[in-house]
Amino acid sequence: MIASIAQRAHRNERIALNVLRFAAGFVIFAMTMLLVYLAFEGTKTFFVDRFSIWSFLFSPNYDLDANHPGAAIFIAGTLMVTVFAIAIGGPFGIAVGVFLSEIAPPRMALVLKPAIELMVGIPSVVYGWLGLTLLVPFIRDHTSSPAGFSLAAAGIVLAIMILPTVISLSEDAFTSLPPALKEGSLALGATRFQTIMRVLLPSASSGIAVALILGIARAVGETLAIQLVIGNATAFPVNIFGPTSTLTTVIVGEMPSATEGSLQEHALFSMAFLLLIIAMVLILLVRLALRKRS
Amino acid sequence: MTTNVSRSVSALASSPGVRARKFADSLATAVLWAMALSIILMLALFIIYMFYLGARYLTPSFLFGMPKETTAGGGIGPEIYNSFYILILTLVFTVPIAVSAGIYLQEYARPGRFRELVVFSAESLATVPSIVMGLFGLLVFVYLFKWKFTALGGALTLTMLNLPALMRVTQEALKSIPDSYREASMGIGATKWQTVLRVVLPSAIGRMTTGIVLIAGRIFGETAALIFTAGLSVSANAPYDLNPFHTAETLAVHLWYTHSESIVPDVDRIGNGSALVLLIMVLVFNVLARIGGRALSKRLTGRPT
Repeated sequence: MIASIAQRAHRNERIALNVLRFAAGFVIFAMTMLLVYLAFEGTKTFFVDRFSIWSFLFSPNYDLDANHPGAAIFIAGTLMVTVFAIAIGGPFGIAVGVFLSEIAPPRMALVLKPAIELMVGIPSVVYGWLGLTLLVPFIRDHTSSPAGFSLAAAGIVLAIMILPTVISLSEDAFTSLPPALKEGSLALGATRFQTIMRVLLPSASSGIAVALILGIARAVGETLAIQLVIGNATAFPVNIFGPTSTLTTVIVGEMPSATEGSLQEHALFSMAFLLLIIAMVLILLVRLALRKRS
Repeated sequence: MTTNVSRSVSALASSPGVRARKFADSLATAVLWAMALSIILMLALFIIYMFYLGARYLTPSFLFGMPKETTAGGGIGPEIYNSFYILILTLVFTVPIAVSAGIYLQEYARPGRFRELVVFSAESLATVPSIVMGLFGLLVFVYLFKWKFTALGGALTLTMLNLPALMRVTQEALKSIPDSYREASMGIGATKWQTVLRVVLPSAIGRMTTGIVLIAGRIFGETAALIFTAGLSVSANAPYDLNPFHTAETLAVHLWYTHSESIVPDVDRIGNGSALVLLIMVLVFNVLARIGGRALSKRLTGRPT
């Protein structure tokens, strides 16, 4: 009797472990499939249509009628909005992260943290809609930009969208520091600001790097929020108030009308594959930063 | 002696260097406070502004009516239904896989190559942009399986997109359970699986529920991954179509689509109304996450988290 109960428990144990292992294996399977499939589809531009990788990456001439899908404009657009977003959202996010871990009284944290969680939850298209109804008219009325749709509008929307990522990860970076660091600095007579700038910030640098890298990852992949405000022009922006496109916005804008198997479709898949490579590189950078810490 | 010390301390305190440092310190504190407050203020303004823009459109005919292709006066009934339908489908796939994988990593996996590979895959999957995931869904479900645009294809794409986040939630929740629970359970003869199922999981369920509901909020508003998988139109059997193999445009997709592609004259009305509904849903999910997690945890463990 007891033996059979034990036997059954033992059998259940084995089944459970296999099911759990299978689920974990599925994650590997999913990622591998994604990588293989997109690599296959994303390199057709080069292997089927015989378009050179070099021209794809560096030629600004995106002319599908001439079979010349140069993606330099979109790559530059992605780079520019990302730099714009991280230049504003990065320092701001780190500062609020410091505030949360070093200065905020519990009651303030109790308000700020749910607010940040709410910011994560707001759908990207709602951010885009807000940008469209608030930011775009503002830029139209106050700058040289004729329509308001611009690189700057996209950059600002993105800066706001990456804030929660940067804030919560940099807060983690500060709270995980050993308290002795701070105590030692304060005991030597340093003010709180000096302690933050000269002791905590340098010690938390790898964690902050992770916060910034993941902020960049979010900015690079963001699609609809910027598609609604960037103007979607196939041209380099004349200045920061000029319209342009990014990799993501051109994909979402052109894919619905692209025919299966056409050069246009292949080029769009190549751009998606490029985005995937950028994401993977960023993840490797995160790992590098974390390894440095430990 | 004491007077000497106090004199030199007060001299030091009033020296220009110290005063400058103290001033810099107060200034920095003030600036950081201002930054933090500005975030709350900005969020509050967003919410008020969206209610100001959209509140007047939230009539029953808008919330439950059918969308229109070319004329004004269309509603968003089927879109709201589709958003919930795809959300539920997605959770049906995501929760079992992600929770199992999370349990495996946290409770079972020994350090080694398999574990490393799972962790790395999950991290990579977590950074894949949702538009890229959408194109993968297009390749697999629309081109390869020849399903066309379907609710199921959309849900499966979202499953892949949200697996890592939910795995992480599971792991964090399990990590928060002290080892003494496991030791006590195994000490009275329970197997590992019995321990996980009857001791560890019930204790972690509150936190897990909070995490799952927050992720549900994100799935509800997901757009880029659905455009090429669940499609840009509602099914012919709308508003309430249960067939997962029919096309199913969600509310978030509808908001984007009406603005950038469609030709209805009342784009602003539909946009402002839809954006507000999405925002309200996110607020609801955020509140539910807190209340639901706490209530479940209390019921299963007798203590609030």
